[in-house]
Amino acid sequence: MALFQRIEAAVDAGIGRRRLGYALLALIIVYFLWFPNDTSQSNYAKTVFISGFFYAIMSSSWALLAGIAGQFSFGHMAFMGIGAYVAGLVARDGLAFLTAESISAVGAIFIGTLVAGLVGLVIGWLLLRLRSAYLALFTIAFSELFRIVMLTEYDYTGGSNGLSLRPLLQIADVDTARQVEYYLMFALLIVCLLALYWVSNSPIGLFLRAMREDEDAASALGVNVVRYKILVFVFTSMIVGLAGAIFYSDVGSERIIPEQLEILQMSLIIAYAVIGGMESLIGAAAGAFIARYLLEATRQVVITLPFGLTMADGSDAFVWEPGAWRYALFGLVMVLTLRFMRNGLLYPIITWFSGRGLVMKETVAKRESDEDHAGRLEVDNE
Amino acid sequence: MSEINLELNSIVMRFGGNQAVDHVSFSVIKPQLIGMIGPNGAGKTTLTNVMSGMLKPTNGTIYLNGRRIDGHPPYDVVRAGLGRTFQITRALGRMTVMENMMVPGLAIRPRARRADIEARAHEILDLLTIDHLTNELSRALSGGQRKLLELGRLLMLDPAVIILDEPFAGVHPRLQETIYSYIHRVHEDGKAIILISHNMGAVFELSQRLIVLNNGALIADGEPQAVKSDPAVIEAYLGEDED
Repeated sequence: MALFQRIEAAVDAGIGRRRLGYALLALIIVYFLWFPNDTSQSNYAKTVFISGFFYAIMSSSWALLAGIAGQFSFGHMAFMGIGAYVAGLVARDGLAFLTAESISAVGAIFIGTLVAGLVGLVIGWLLLRLRSAYLALFTIAFSELFRIVMLTEYDYTGGSNGLSLRPLLQIADVDTARQVEYYLMFALLIVCLLALYWVSNSPIGLFLRAMREDEDAASALGVNVVRYKILVFVFTSMIVGLAGAIFYSDVGSERIIPEQLEILQMSLIIAYAVIGGMESLIGAAAGAFIARYLLEATRQVVITLPFGLTMADGSDAFVWEPGAWRYALFGLVMVLTLRFMRNGLLYPIITWFSGRGLVMKETVAKRESDEDHAGRLEVDNE
Repeated sequence: MSEINLELNSIVMRFGGNQAVDHVSFSVIKPQLIGMIGPNGAGKTTLTNVMSGMLKPTNGTIYLNGRRIDGHPPYDVVRAGLGRTFQITRALGRMTVMENMMVPGLAIRPRARRADIEARAHEILDLLTIDHLTNELSRALSGGQRKLLELGRLLMLDPAVIILDEPFAGVHPRLQETIYSYIHRVHEDGKAIILISHNMGAVFELSQRLIVLNNGALIADGEPQAVKSDPAVIEAYLGEDED
């Protein structure tokens, strides 16, 4: 602890926490940019990363919706699905006066994103009078409704076999294709995070947090709660609609299946955000990426036996397959996080780098030096 | 000095069979300090909720500076120039004191420079003696400080008419003094204040005009001394002990 405090003091006196944080962030970005060029990495590892980026977009956008705006929605995966399904359907069947052939993959993704936003508008409007548990129940119902329709209307949607979208990238060489897909998804994550941060740091972000704290009080303070509630639904729906349409356009996955829209999948998005830090966009994104990576990495654990020990079958390796247990372990982490670190496992780290703790310390010092205030507090507390 | 013309015409608010506000009419046409009193359940808070847009009246109209505001959402009423505090303070707990101040500042003046709004917030916090708590989360404030923060947020809105719902409830005498000076200062700035309080001493000391509600109906409206001796008021509210 003493060592940590010395390091802390050195950082504060030297580069400063915030700058150190930015430097680390830059290093992480450089690592991600370099990663696909590492010849020792398999295409499988790149696929895991691509999936990690996708889920990072899902979790961070959900963090804006639920953690910052307080709209605890279970409909996030459904909006993602709307983006993907609509992109797939318009590219296959056309749309009104547009023939299927005239709609490019990019056009289909655009239409999918737009429709996700429009549905977000309607759902946001329907949810205006609903709060907390009712909002959650409504969005669960909406999400299930959408999944069941996609499953049942198999003539159009392919049912449980899923729906193929028009491939966005058509690159014959598998290695090159994986590399381009990797960069595309990473770029999308960066763009989405920048957009989310822009909203969160703008006056809109302030109003959303005010609404989360107390919707009536925010309204009495002049915040147009109707506008911002709808806006946050439209904005996050469009982000996940876009991410879904791109990811399933053969970038991260070949087809969208209704199984992806199940409540379990939505719960995972929530779990990633909770573990990373629901009120921090970067925390939720990092939480999702790390969790996806660990969930993949723990599929099979091989421990080589030392001292020439062998198993009954003669092999020198003990193979443990925690695959069946990994979600249970993951659940345990979530339970412990909620009980002991409600702001997420990464939140203390992010707070430390932001320097917010320093400001709080100064405030406390000021308060303690204010005897008048201390006197008032004593009387107030009596 | 901003224009003031608040007009309530026969406001009725019913919840099922319960008539909480019963044909209440009055108007405010100058920067008066008005006390609104009445026993518990008289309809003061309901009327405040109706005036501030939190409730849509069953019947009746409200005009503020020529604009009809009844049934409009609270943010619209605030923008029209009527602001309020809550009986139980509603600080935005997990936001800092400064963020609490910035919300109304930016909501009302979206095109203003952030630095200007921040400077104004500092001025107000200084006036309310809580400037040293700028970066503190508002949930860490004491009950009295939260009351001051609520008053500060109202000043950020700069409304022409202010309704203060029980500003002295649960407040330590020294903080009460700060609230007193706040009320005087705001009144001198040319704003009309409707003060709802069970603290009769404060109401009689501060008010230039008194409105009395009982069972949802307005039973008296006039100068405090005249209202104090009104038999209907004595019977309904003050009881036998006039002093």
